[in-house]
Amino acid sequence: MAIPHEGERELLTGNKSAAYGALLSEVRCAPFFPITPQTGIMEAFAEWKSAGVYQGEFHTLESEHSVLSSAIGSQLTGQRTFTGSSSQGLMLMFEMLPIASGLRLPMVVANVSRGLSAPITLWCDHNDVLMTRDTGFVTFICESNQEILDSVIIAYRVAEDERVLLPAMVNMDGFTHSFTREPVDIPSVKEVRSFLPELRQEVTLDTEHPKTLGIPVMSEYTLFRQQVHRAQRNALTVVDRAHREFAKLTGRKYSSVESFRMENAECAIVGIGANASIMKAAVEEMRKEGRAVGMVRLRLIRPFPYDEVAEALRGTKCVAVVDQNLSPGSGGILYTEVSRALRKYRGVVCDYIAGLGGKPVSVSDVRDIAENAMRSKTDTVKWVM
Amino acid sequence: MVSLKTLPEEELVTGGSAACAGCQAILAFRLALKVLGKDTVLVNPAGCMTLSAVYPFTPYGVPWVHGAIENASAVASGVKAGLRASGKQAHVVCQAGDGATYDIGFQSLSGAAQRNEDIIYICYNNSSYGNTGFQASSATPLGSMTLTTPPGSAAPWGNDANRKNMPRIMAAHGIPYVATASVGYEMDFLKKVEAARDIRGFRYIEVLTACPTGWGHDPEDAKTIGRELVDLGIWPLFEIREGKLKVTMRPRFGDITPWMRRQKRFRHLSGEQIARIAESVKREWETLEKDFYGTAQY
Repeated sequence: MAIPHEGERELLTGNKSAAYGALLSEVRCAPFFPITPQTGIMEAFAEWKSAGVYQGEFHTLESEHSVLSSAIGSQLTGQRTFTGSSSQGLMLMFEMLPIASGLRLPMVVANVSRGLSAPITLWCDHNDVLMTRDTGFVTFICESNQEILDSVIIAYRVAEDERVLLPAMVNMDGFTHSFTREPVDIPSVKEVRSFLPELRQEVTLDTEHPKTLGIPVMSEYTLFRQQVHRAQRNALTVVDRAHREFAKLTGRKYSSVESFRMENAECAIVGIGANASIMKAAVEEMRKEGRAVGMVRLRLIRPFPYDEVAEALRGTKCVAVVDQNLSPGSGGILYTEVSRALRKYRGVVCDYIAGLGGKPVSVSDVRDIAENAMRSKTDTVKWVM
Repeated sequence: MVSLKTLPEEELVTGGSAACAGCQAILAFRLALKVLGKDTVLVNPAGCMTLSAVYPFTPYGVPWVHGAIENASAVASGVKAGLRASGKQAHVVCQAGDGATYDIGFQSLSGAAQRNEDIIYICYNNSSYGNTGFQASSATPLGSMTLTTPPGSAAPWGNDANRKNMPRIMAAHGIPYVATASVGYEMDFLKKVEAARDIRGFRYIEVLTACPTGWGHDPEDAKTIGRELVDLGIWPLFEIREGKLKVTMRPRFGDITPWMRRQKRFRHLSGEQIARIAESVKREWETLEKDFYGTAQY
């Protein structure tokens, strides 16, 4: 059955965009469990299944832990698998995340960012997705609904590449993306097929060629985990190539690190997610006033593009990292990553904790951050309350 | 019908695994795979059988995967979904210990049973967390010594809790097939594996597997220990199909003391305590017969 609105521009929520990305990637298995703000993704699949638009397996399980376990099971049979979660749900899946990467299963998980309990919040920050950065998932963090749809397709292409063979995560912001509609170009299945070849997974649970998978190992353990690391680093070039080919196909350009108005910038604001749009608006305002401010958006968090980040920030005098997350006892999580990329940097790198639990970050907040960073002499953690 | 004469000679679980001497669990799967055949996928949650393969060696002639401890039923649900999506047929079999079944894996097991997933779940019950060295699970019987229930002057029972009645809990899910078995009576076990093989939907077989290392008896006694616990009525053998109970082995009952005295795990118990355990064995049978009054077959 034809996919509705294929090849058209539609108003889509972030959740629907992620679901469309998976549908167009012709996923075969989609296990789910409800959690706000992710439920829109599973509801889209439920509707498509019921209408005969989606003919793969759609099933609901009794927990997110079982959802990711089931995703591992279906991907182990060589069937393209997709699921989504958020916050506490992602935390419940957590145990299975490094198992998915260790088994080298190229599934895609859409995460809808929401702050972690306690106290409980439904609103967005990025602690959930950033806590998974050591699990071996290739991780994309999106700024717009169009980018969410496109990134699911790109994520499969990267994950399934034989130099990578790792699971991937595509992240959006809860509410800001998940329940907000934006105009989104929906590619056709034909276009997507020309970009995303059929999955050919060599290692599967095949009764003709029985293999023992997830087997106990002794000193070989390091070797297996090192292979996951190497696959992650391989993903850097695979992502770049996928971005180039996707641009050729659709005209939509993505890069692991996006530089915005960085020409001759003295101060760079670094951020991720939906708030990057606010940061860009603030930069535009300040540029109009003749201030040399730019913005660098990190789209790829794992593998972390250290060289590209250093290059994007070269020539600036100060960097203001806006962290919509918190590692208590350390500070912002992105700050530590960016600092590592800037180990030869001579300017000041400041860390701003902003937007926890969905607290709105305004254009004037961002302007204050930039002003503060330009005045700062030392690196300290600062709070935008 | 499965019989000794028709069992294939081909071994899908070969010798040389890392299982302990006298382990009845590895034997259970060696035998079960003779009935299930090559078109079988084993899904293993953490437990003794996880360590039956150690890289780069494997005793398994069928696809096998270890996920984590609490989710065999969920991984198996996904494997089955993937096979359906690819149009392939295979028996998807969980190979789970009692800890991964009764305790930490209970949620995913109950979920999969409620969904009536097309899975055969074989629980090998050695009545403890075996591969971590013999700690109590909720399948550990009353009066058992374990490393977490050491008997002492303040703890005369060792384990002072009753085990869960897992087969009955599974039957309450309304699944098409529930059976109990013991490797001591291997043909009874294999007939149940055969029956399960030919039914669709969620099938649960719990096979009691003597554990010489944990239970503290001679490995060569494993088979007789596994037989006597059936003969004495300690582990009732039955099938429940569509709510109807069929007892497949009528015990002779009798004095359980010699059987208990042969195992280190019960050696601390007094005659009085053993009498209490004998009483609970009798009560379990009475309950079973009462609950299935009028429908039970022998």
